[in-house]
Amino acid sequence: MTALLRYQAALLLRSQRWIAPLVVYAGFVAVGIRPGDRALDSLGYAAAGLVPQTAWLVRICVGAEPPAARACAAAAAGPARVHAAALLTALGGALTAGAAGACFALLCGGPGGKPPAATAAAGVVAVLVCALTGAAVGALCSRPLVRGRGLAVLAGGLGSLLAWVAAFSPARSAVSALVGAARTDGVPLPLGSLAAAALLAAAAGTAACLLSARRE
Amino acid sequence: MLRGVGLELPPGALVRIEGGNGGGKSTLLRILAGIDTPTEGRVAGRPRRTAYVPERFPAALPLTAGSYLTHLGRVHGLTGAEAARRAAAGLERFGAAAYARTPLSELSKGTSQKVAVAQALLAGPGLLVLDEAWTGLDAPARAELDRAVTERTADGGTVVFVDHDPARLAGRPDAHHRIEAGALVPVAAAVPAGAARPASVRVHAVGPPGATPPLGLAATPAPGGGVLLTVDADRSDAVLRELLTARPPWHIRAVEELR
Repeated sequence: MTALLRYQAALLLRSQRWIAPLVVYAGFVAVGIRPGDRALDSLGYAAAGLVPQTAWLVRICVGAEPPAARACAAAAAGPARVHAAALLTALGGALTAGAAGACFALLCGGPGGKPPAATAAAGVVAVLVCALTGAAVGALCSRPLVRGRGLAVLAGGLGSLLAWVAAFSPARSAVSALVGAARTDGVPLPLGSLAAAALLAAAAGTAACLLSARRE
Repeated sequence: MLRGVGLELPPGALVRIEGGNGGGKSTLLRILAGIDTPTEGRVAGRPRRTAYVPERFPAALPLTAGSYLTHLGRVHGLTGAEAARRAAAGLERFGAAAYARTPLSELSKGTSQKVAVAQALLAGPGLLVLDEAWTGLDAPARAELDRAVTERTADGGTVVFVDHDPARLAGRPDAHHRIEAGALVPVAAAVPAGAARPASVRVHAVGPPGATPPLGLAATPAPGGGVLLTVDADRSDAVLRELLTARPPWHIRAVEELR
């Protein structure tokens, strides 16, 4: 699995296709976070931006190989493992961007009378929740479940929107916990949302990996 | 597309699959290689190391040929250093050593195909699946691939291939199947009537102290030192290659044809 992850990471880094989602995310964070904003507010905002960014990265990673190269890797390691490596690589990339966004939010934001360590912990959890939710959206809205570029982009966009607004979405509940707490006492630690997001991502990822051996 | 396919692939077997265009040859090979799963039924006992060569390898990957092969070597289960060494040796073997640092996207069709073939041979696969892998290779590389296939089977690996050239590895396959209307039917052995049993070759080799002959060959001590190995003539090239490329290499004293 390490070998597959290294291979997929090399494909992602050298393809330079990570630049577009990263620039969009950096713009999103730079425009939305102002010096002096409440840190929890900014962290929630930085985490929320990760949902579509992660879905986009997943789409890039699972499509990084042309079919012939994918077949060679799949024969060597099994199609499900190849797909899992692509999903994990995208998640790793998104978490790196999310960590940078959260650091920016913490450095720019005023503490607002909150304990910094607890604020940072809340930010870490929110980033994890949103990246996992975005990875689930990406896994469900790209190959092998959704084929065709137009349909996949539409599904990924709608899925990310749903993850932002739907009541059942762990990303929404984590972000609203942070943003809500910015105006009241205490610092939340949305571990329930984290568990839900992990389950969602695991289920979506498993479904995509199992279907990746289906004939195309 | 395919129905009621039952196929046994023993270790060391060379199996040819043929059939018309769109008949399901590639589908069958992809299922054998584990790339696709069948809608019904299953493939049991696939070796841990399986490799596949597609007919065309237009790999627009952002890697150089050498780095792609090294990555794939690791995916096949080799260590990084071993993967890099075998990647270089594989490119050299197929006459593509000059392209090790060339991005895959800039390679010609034939050189890309050499990379695909080298990829499959990196880790000595227990099952090698070749889907018209010879297509696009130049003559020396085609001959080298023939030799590689013989080596794999001599080493106990199973090789399944499809090729549009009926003369490809003629007379060598242990089994021959044709896909007809979605079913797999055996083709009678294509050995011409009256063909003599292939001759044997006796190799007199002297190994490094304490070395045992590769490939599990039965050896008898030779007068004057070394061992005598008796092998089928069509395996002799593979055996000699094994002996000469062993580390440290064996010394060959004599090669003699037996009738």
